[in-house]
Amino acid sequence: MRNLFNFLIRYSVLFLFLFLEIISFTLIVKNQGYQKSVFLSSSNSVVSEMYEWSNGVVEFFKLRAANDNLSEENTALKNQVIQLQNQLETLKPRVKDSIRFQIPPEMEYRFIAAKVINCSTNKLQNSITLNKGSRDGVQPDMGVVSDEGVVGIVKVVNEKNSVVIPILNPRIEINCKFKRTNYTGPLKWEGEDYRYANLNDIARHVELALGDTIITSGFTSTFPEGIPVGYIEDFKIKESDAYYKIKVKLAVNFRTLSHVKVINYLNYKEQKDLEKKAEE
Amino acid sequence: MPVVLQNIFRFIILVLLQVLALNNVQFLGFINPFIYILFIISLPVRTPRWATLLMAFVLGLTIDAFSNTPGTHAFATVLIAFLRNGIINLFITIDEGNNPTPSFYTFSVGNYVKYLVFMVLIHHTALFFLEAFSFANFWLILFKITLSSAVTILLILGIQSLYKK
Repeated sequence: MRNLFNFLIRYSVLFLFLFLEIISFTLIVKNQGYQKSVFLSSSNSVVSEMYEWSNGVVEFFKLRAANDNLSEENTALKNQVIQLQNQLETLKPRVKDSIRFQIPPEMEYRFIAAKVINCSTNKLQNSITLNKGSRDGVQPDMGVVSDEGVVGIVKVVNEKNSVVIPILNPRIEINCKFKRTNYTGPLKWEGEDYRYANLNDIARHVELALGDTIITSGFTSTFPEGIPVGYIEDFKIKESDAYYKIKVKLAVNFRTLSHVKVINYLNYKEQKDLEKKAEE
Repeated sequence: MPVVLQNIFRFIILVLLQVLALNNVQFLGFINPFIYILFIISLPVRTPRWATLLMAFVLGLTIDAFSNTPGTHAFATVLIAFLRNGIINLFITIDEGNNPTPSFYTFSVGNYVKYLVFMVLIHHTALFFLEAFSFANFWLILFKITLSSAVTILLILGIQSLYKK
């Protein structure tokens, strides 16, 4: 017994070391999965409070760029309104005669505006924290877009904040297609440069051109069809390969990201249930 | 207890500096210096080892909480806290009854730089491999370790040279 105590006392530092390392390692392994513990992530309220504060300072310097973006978007929207008004004018006489009752278009998507309070771009596993949480209707698996294009998918949510996995994380793939030809393939980030990602599974018979726009395919319920993801920067194919290796310049600049929209797909649950039923 | 106060102060300053400023430094997309380990590096040599380990764990978890990486910083920091005394003994022998705080003046510049390089390299290697959690991007990770370590070492040397004995 005494020997045992002596042994324990003699190596107590080693045991403490091993104990702490095992705790750390368990934390790491546990968080490799899709479900990340909310406890230690930056949606933790103390941490997010602090980020909100530091973001308030930093955001001041981004105001000019944000303003420019907003005014650009504003003009684009105004143009659209005028265009639609013109179209409506030309359609009016016909509508009056034929259809009396028009069914309003189904409200499929709603946007929840949110602000980025923390964003990393230089790691292999990046993440973004938003200032909106379950209180504002944000839920896991919702898509996140900015005015420029696709940002990522919501991963964990607490009452006030949520953590998003951006495209800049090899854990997610986003199903995309070419705007011009409609061929689809998964877009994946390889961990090197925050400006570029790779598009795989495009067969060699597809015609490509530099600068082609890549948009979301709309096959998953996370993103509606047609949101820009990026543009072809470069593509390669070896004599022996069946698939292209396409380098995509991402539409979103993650370094200057500040305002985003979370997509709330209102029929999400119905669609999931239906798909589950079909599988059975 | 000025030494204890000094260390508490150092802990807070380094965490704030790391989390609010340096975690946003993303030069070239590869370089992310981690100077918060200066806290472990600068603990007095004769600090009880169990205390060093516990402090390292708390420091690591604090940084983890701010960077969404549960466990990785804690693991790497506890690792260097454990190896610290061994590394110090590699380069210098400290007289019985002395309890110096590592710096240019107590260690001599050459020994301090050697000690610093060892600590930073071990920490960054553990950290970046745990962050990636695979060997798939081996060379990329190695590249990141080298660049980030170099910047961390330069920053810490810069901070140390501000101290006047």
